[in-house]
Amino acid sequence: MFSRLTPYLLVLPLMSFIAVFTYIPIAASINLSFREWDFLSPTMPFVGLENYRLLLSSHEFWNSVRVTALFAVISVPIRLGLALMVASYLVRETLPSRLLRGALFLPSVTSTVSIAVVFSWMFATDYGMVNAFLVSLGLGRVPWLQDPQLALWVVIVVNTWKQLGYDIVIYIAGLQAVPQELYDAAAVDGGRKGHVFRRVTVPLVMPTTYFLLVVSVIEAFQIFTIVDVMTKGGPAGATDMLVNMLYRVGFTLFDIGQGSALAVLLFILLIALALFKSRVLGRRVHYEA
Amino acid sequence: MKPDETKPGNRVLPWLALAGGLLFLFPALYSIFMSFQTVDAYYTGTLDFTLENYRLAIGQFHFARYLFNSLIVSGTVTVMGLAFATMAAFAFARFRFAGGNLLFAAVVATLMIPSHISLIPNYLSLARVGLLDTYAGLILPAISNGFAAFFLRQYIRGIPVALDEAAYMDGATPLQVLWRVIVPIARPAIFSMGLFIFISEWNSYIWPLVAVGDEDLYTLQVGLARLYKVNPGEDVVNWPLVMAASTITILPILLGFIFVERHLVRGITMGAVK
Repeated sequence: MFSRLTPYLLVLPLMSFIAVFTYIPIAASINLSFREWDFLSPTMPFVGLENYRLLLSSHEFWNSVRVTALFAVISVPIRLGLALMVASYLVRETLPSRLLRGALFLPSVTSTVSIAVVFSWMFATDYGMVNAFLVSLGLGRVPWLQDPQLALWVVIVVNTWKQLGYDIVIYIAGLQAVPQELYDAAAVDGGRKGHVFRRVTVPLVMPTTYFLLVVSVIEAFQIFTIVDVMTKGGPAGATDMLVNMLYRVGFTLFDIGQGSALAVLLFILLIALALFKSRVLGRRVHYEA
Repeated sequence: MKPDETKPGNRVLPWLALAGGLLFLFPALYSIFMSFQTVDAYYTGTLDFTLENYRLAIGQFHFARYLFNSLIVSGTVTVMGLAFATMAAFAFARFRFAGGNLLFAAVVATLMIPSHISLIPNYLSLARVGLLDTYAGLILPAISNGFAAFFLRQYIRGIPVALDEAAYMDGATPLQVLWRVIVPIARPAIFSMGLFIFISEWNSYIWPLVAVGDEDLYTLQVGLARLYKVNPGEDVVNWPLVMAASTITILPILLGFIFVERHLVRGITMGAVK
């Protein structure tokens, strides 16, 4: 009927692209991380763990680790908490709730660069909307993106604004799987709204929360675009995320060895998180169409 | 009728929801509004509208070119990505072959692999073969999509095998079965994967930033970021101009969103009539 080669020919294009652009690069990154190279010199000598040693003893690296971890630890609970509250109001299939869902979801499919540019204007010191509002209240202008204490918070606000709709959509799917009888029973028992939310909704969507938690932590550790456009990692490194440091070391300083070492360390961290996710959640989360 | 819509108080709710949605989207909506303001009107707070910002963005600042580049790159990535993913998904769903499970595991594992790890090696290998600063350099690393292959494989497994078998009885080849039987049935899944690939490629920033230095090959994302960061000839940022460029950057996705909503509604109503 057909040749035994058929399935191999069918998977060949996909598998060769995955091999060339995903798997070989992992091996190449590991190899490069043990070498010293500036992209120009004819040789790339093997230097063992020197790149890792330099990285782990640099203030810049630990600052990036601290800033990225801080970003993840602050932004993820804010996102999930807000999303669950909003989702529990929007779970019903009514016209207003569908309209609002659409509006909230829109930023998550919109260009991150555009969003970052628009919020750069919102938070601009001189002509920004936020400061115009503060001035109209009789308050002073705040240098949002120039103040090391504030810039990270602005990045968190922008990232939350962009991602919230996605979290809400996932939570709504989770909430729709909760049997209505449980809410009816809680209502019969005279549960107040806040009480029902804490005692019924929150525990029952725990699997969804675990899923979103891990996915958004993984995503948080890969944040790049918002920071690159809005702050370039500044002021004074206050928003210098790991991927922004990777971009700088690899593509503006052309320190291929140290850039690769940084990539490998971040890779190990993210794979560990992903494995944790599939171990803990593998049984509970699946994508059957 | 749903109980909600019979309560008189709930007449107000759609308006409240609309107001809430508009408030949430205010930054984006205001940026579009601002893109039609003259620069003077923007700084003085008067109302004076113009298309000059768009004329400048498209002409002097090459956003027509960037738009064209984005369309070429995202379009090609979507078509090739879907083709490769669908073929592989068909093989994984319908054929038992030595090494098949291992290969499928390798596809699924790519979902866990963060893209930053391939940034430097892909840059180096494309530089070696002279593909930096080309469309191919922008497109090739983005084509393989493990998620699409995985998702479509699950979908195809839900299609009864009897349909394939009937076609094979009639003398069809595997490619004909894929094209004439599987693809038409899996069209909704392929369509949503196509949207997913197109949108993520359209918004992709870090790889085009790395792979292209030649301004003629900038995508919209890189062009917009550059325009904002290096605003030529201005002490302060020319915000209305930047917002016109930003609107050009998000417009195709916004229009697409409206088109997809209509498409979805049509699909639902057609299904209801049958």
